[in-house]
Amino acid sequence: MAIETSHPPLLAPIGGEEAAPAGIGPYRLALRRLRRNKTAIAFGALFLIVVILCLLAPVYANDIAHTGPNTNHITEVIKVGGKSRDVVSPDGIPTGPTWGSKFFFGADPSGRDVAVRLLYGGRNSLEIGILATIITIVLATAAGVVAGYFRGWADGLISRTLDLIWAYPAVLLGVALGVNLALGGISVGPLHIKGNSNWIPALVIGVVYVPYIARPIRGQVLGLREREYIDAARTLGAGHLRIMASEILPNLSSTLVVFVALQMAQSIVLEASLSFLGAGVQPPNPSWGTMISEGVSLITAAPHLVLVPGIMLIVAVLSVNVFGEGLRAALDPRATIRANRT
Amino acid sequence: MSHTLPRRPLALAAVATLSLGLLSACGSSSHSTSPPSAGSATTGAGSGGKSGGTLTVAMGTAPDSLDPQYGYTTQAVEADAITYTPLLTYTHANGTAGSTIIPGLAQALPTVSSDGLTYTMNLRPNLTFSDGTPVKASDFAYSIERMIKLNWGGDSFITNYVKGASDYAAGKATSISGITTDDSTGKITITLTQPYGAFENVLAFPAAALVPSGTAMKALSAAPPIGDGPYVISHVVPNVSFTLTRNPHWAAQNIPGIPDGHVDSIQVSIQSNNQTEAQQVLSNQTDIFDPGDTLPPALLAQIKSQAANRFKEVSIPQSFYIFFGTTTAPFNNPVARQAVDLAFDRTATQRLSSGFMVPGCYFLPPGIIGHPTSQCPAGDPAQPPSAANVAKAKQMIQQAGLAGTPVTVWSETRSPRQEYMTYYAQLLNQIGFKATLKVIQDAVYFQTIGNEALHPQTGFADWDEDFPNPSDFYLLLDARSIQAQNNENYGDVNDPHIQSELTKLDAVPAAQLSSVASEWQALDEYVTKQAYFLTFGYQQVPIFASTNVDFSSIDFSGNDYMDWSSISLK
Amino acid sequence: MIRFVVRRAASALGVLVAVSILTFLIFAAIPNGNPALRLAGRTASPQDIAAVTKAYGFNKPIYVQYAKTMQQVFTGQIQSYTQHVTVMSQIKRGLPATVSLAIGATVLWLVVAIILGLAAALRAGSATDTSITVLGFAGISAPSFVVGAILLYLFAFKTHLFPNGGYVGITSGVGTWFHHMVLPWISLAVLYIGIYSQVLRSTVVETLSEDFVRTARAKGLSRRRILTGHVLRTSLIPLVSLWGLDFAGVVGGGAILVETVFNLHGVGQYVQQSVSALDVPPILVTVLFGAIFVVLLSALVDVIYAALDPRIRLAA
Repeated sequence: MAIETSHPPLLAPIGGEEAAPAGIGPYRLALRRLRRNKTAIAFGALFLIVVILCLLAPVYANDIAHTGPNTNHITEVIKVGGKSRDVVSPDGIPTGPTWGSKFFFGADPSGRDVAVRLLYGGRNSLEIGILATIITIVLATAAGVVAGYFRGWADGLISRTLDLIWAYPAVLLGVALGVNLALGGISVGPLHIKGNSNWIPALVIGVVYVPYIARPIRGQVLGLREREYIDAARTLGAGHLRIMASEILPNLSSTLVVFVALQMAQSIVLEASLSFLGAGVQPPNPSWGTMISEGVSLITAAPHLVLVPGIMLIVAVLSVNVFGEGLRAALDPRATIRANRT
Repeated sequence: MSHTLPRRPLALAAVATLSLGLLSACGSSSHSTSPPSAGSATTGAGSGGKSGGTLTVAMGTAPDSLDPQYGYTTQAVEADAITYTPLLTYTHANGTAGSTIIPGLAQALPTVSSDGLTYTMNLRPNLTFSDGTPVKASDFAYSIERMIKLNWGGDSFITNYVKGASDYAAGKATSISGITTDDSTGKITITLTQPYGAFENVLAFPAAALVPSGTAMKALSAAPPIGDGPYVISHVVPNVSFTLTRNPHWAAQNIPGIPDGHVDSIQVSIQSNNQTEAQQVLSNQTDIFDPGDTLPPALLAQIKSQAANRFKEVSIPQSFYIFFGTTTAPFNNPVARQAVDLAFDRTATQRLSSGFMVPGCYFLPPGIIGHPTSQCPAGDPAQPPSAANVAKAKQMIQQAGLAGTPVTVWSETRSPRQEYMTYYAQLLNQIGFKATLKVIQDAVYFQTIGNEALHPQTGFADWDEDFPNPSDFYLLLDARSIQAQNNENYGDVNDPHIQSELTKLDAVPAAQLSSVASEWQALDEYVTKQAYFLTFGYQQVPIFASTNVDFSSIDFSGNDYMDWSSISLK
Repeated sequence: MIRFVVRRAASALGVLVAVSILTFLIFAAIPNGNPALRLAGRTASPQDIAAVTKAYGFNKPIYVQYAKTMQQVFTGQIQSYTQHVTVMSQIKRGLPATVSLAIGATVLWLVVAIILGLAAALRAGSATDTSITVLGFAGISAPSFVVGAILLYLFAFKTHLFPNGGYVGITSGVGTWFHHMVLPWISLAVLYIGIYSQVLRSTVVETLSEDFVRTARAKGLSRRRILTGHVLRTSLIPLVSLWGLDFAGVVGGGAILVETVFNLHGVGQYVQQSVSALDVPPILVTVLFGAIFVVLLSALVDVIYAALDPRIRLAA
């Protein structure tokens, strides 16, 4: 299908456009544009802070909260402002935020520290988001380049496979695969991935999004292969692999850089959605999605269970999105790359 | 049409239970001449209250199927129990009093041969299904065959005991050789392969109720078959709603002990949002909150303060326990099991259940004959264990050389069961094991831990009675239950003392259970002392109704369901 | 053109067959435990398990099971494993909620996105533009189920302005129906409002700078005339095609999250419940149902585009 070529850009550039001054390479120019885009830089920094906080989860758990992500304190009593408070009430309602070192964001129904779980959950969410993005980009680039470069039956086969994945509603495919793989894991030859491994949701999300990126790549390669320098390389006797690696891939790099950031946002959202539906990160391991899903039924009595991971999720995704858009505007001011979405 | 039940003292309900033999004997002779109102009087279980009106019920979980020979869940039983009458049934009374077996469509309790293998009964004369078709003795054989063909969830209670039933199930026979019926006399004879005292309970399953011969041999979930009971199921929209209305042919049949029911119709709607469901009852838009659903903890405080006179919690015969793999380390060592029992804080699991669990240590729950009343080996289950006990547990594990043994704790996903096991895994770590939690999808949990080859070390399990008989619970500790797949004896418990006791006790007919209550108690105490299981509590369910309902009229049957026919409106 | 349509239809059909095979394989080929054990129940004896295996044909080769299942799909007789009701009856039951959700949300997101997109484009570079862009990003970054949960908390539990979930049929009163649907509509629409307003903004900005607009302006046409008659019409075309695919995506399963949060009992929630019960027939049918929507509407979009732009026909 060729429709994406006629689509307008998803987001208008945030930074202004400018003509390339003579004598500056495209990447340096992009960097210069990006630096001038204060909003994108600010959000990029915000995302970095989120990542660092999550990486520091063990430090927070050991040195500040003095508890682990799966450690429960059901029958314990804590002192807040001089008053004693049940971590979990006899009716099963967990305490709200104490804004102190322990239970800063309150407890969950098992008496676990929400702040600790938030950070550990963030590690899982981000890890899956990054792994999935790598999987998507690698698979999509391979598929798009091979299909666009060789055309013919290879293109037919790859394009039909992409059509198939694409016609499958993304969340549905993710849930169906996620639930089943979580049960049995994956065994390919000597390699075995356990059902509760983060690799399962990462693989599922990675595969689900391949068509959304492989298609524009293929379109771009179709155009690139007709260029003179490819013909030149061919007449010089370069092999297909060589041409793809040294002539085509470099020309795709700016497109790929843009996709990496936007795809990361998509993957984090899908991970949360799958976990919310029970097909992502497997309990008792936390992720922002599983935390929200566990909290929804208690939202009236303990809204912090949904609000805390929910807001964190939105902040993380928003910061990647805005930074990614800034990156796109810097690398591709004429907006030829269209972002995908769920 | 109006069914006016005469007002009579409550005590009669209990009296009726005792004098049933008499009532049924005279009932059969005077049957055809009794006017309907007199018939209602002999049922006795109606304790007064207004008749008529429409009761609305909100359910959070849809019945798996309303077809009596397929539906297995509590929600299905609530509707089927008052629509399909089996040969035997239970007294309609609250709690344990409601677990006594009485004749249903049979004239009297069965005559059991001295070897305990042959059960003989006669069908009451002049019975009709809700469309007026006469009920025949052969309908019983057909209904049992249908239950097997439809793979009803509990059909092993038939295939394991009735002669020829497993051959029928395997397709090796076209009928069940152990069931013979005579339509002209109404005589029904059932032959078992081994004595089985709880067989009368099996005959009282709604799944063993009679449907007409020729009813399609497939689950009729959207249009359930006709039966013979006080109500008829109609207007079924699966997963949305269904209605029960009075069976026009019921009252004339004068079956003692089975009340006609107070309300004229019962409208059930499936909500699937417990919050909405509870709020509807709180604001009197709906009459009954289905006890099979969990009251949202967030609303509990509000309900307790605003609707205290129409809310209560009742215990049901459902035990929550932790099984121990008795064939693998570390729990093949009784010391390890006892140490866990010593340190386990049952008030923690109670809190995780939002208070809907009564802490307890014995496997047989209250309400089941044989529930021990003596003190628990590890002390009062309603109190947290003392620090000394926890320290002692640690020490026991140390001394047994088991410290640091890796343990996998198996758990279901759903809340609060997963939370119970999260707590448990942490406790194991606290007392010296190296535990990891393994959470399994609910849909495959029991088949996963029921795979004998897995030898699961320990994990969550529960048992909700199929029928009010201790032998139903001891299936889970019976070495004969051990099988390669869908094993229910998850810990592979195989103790000669249990086996010899079970051989003796399982043969005692259900009607004489109370005579062996102390033996069951002793067995349950033995099992608890050996710590083959760690029972941590018994389920309570919410009884919550609107102000339109006469709250005191609601019976929660000893057979573990809310008896809609008992409910009257104000 | 006809050849193009026929070719497109054939490939759409091929994709559908492949989707059905893939779904079947996901559940039948990935080890997820023997379904016969689940269906036979907790108290099943080995004989029961054998009987169930035989009755459902789980012992047959997988392609035979597939063929048998697909045959039942086409006759509409296919039944859920766990409840023994026909899947079609359940889809029919869930469809009003799902369609209500999809249509209402669609109207909402189109109207709001057009207003926001136009406002941003006409005031490009202003504070209005910036705040609309920021809002758009927030919308794109907020997962529907988080928005839904937060809305439920604020407007159903805290202030009681709206009911706390559940679907009420339009037949029991348009007002009640509307009241129940407002929060789900907003939750679902937020993402698309973010995307569409930004898409519209940039196309309008682009169109405003094009020659024909300059010509029209030179001819002395009023600003309003130019906007509605020329700019908006041109800029809406890509939006409409986007909408076709997104609507299909929502009906075909995208609504699963919002339906679950609000307990709408729609098709999406039915899938969700079937997946957690590993009940293959409903999953197979609903996935096919969703894929049909996606494939049909995308084929339609392709054909429309081909009609508009002959180059695509040649390229495809």
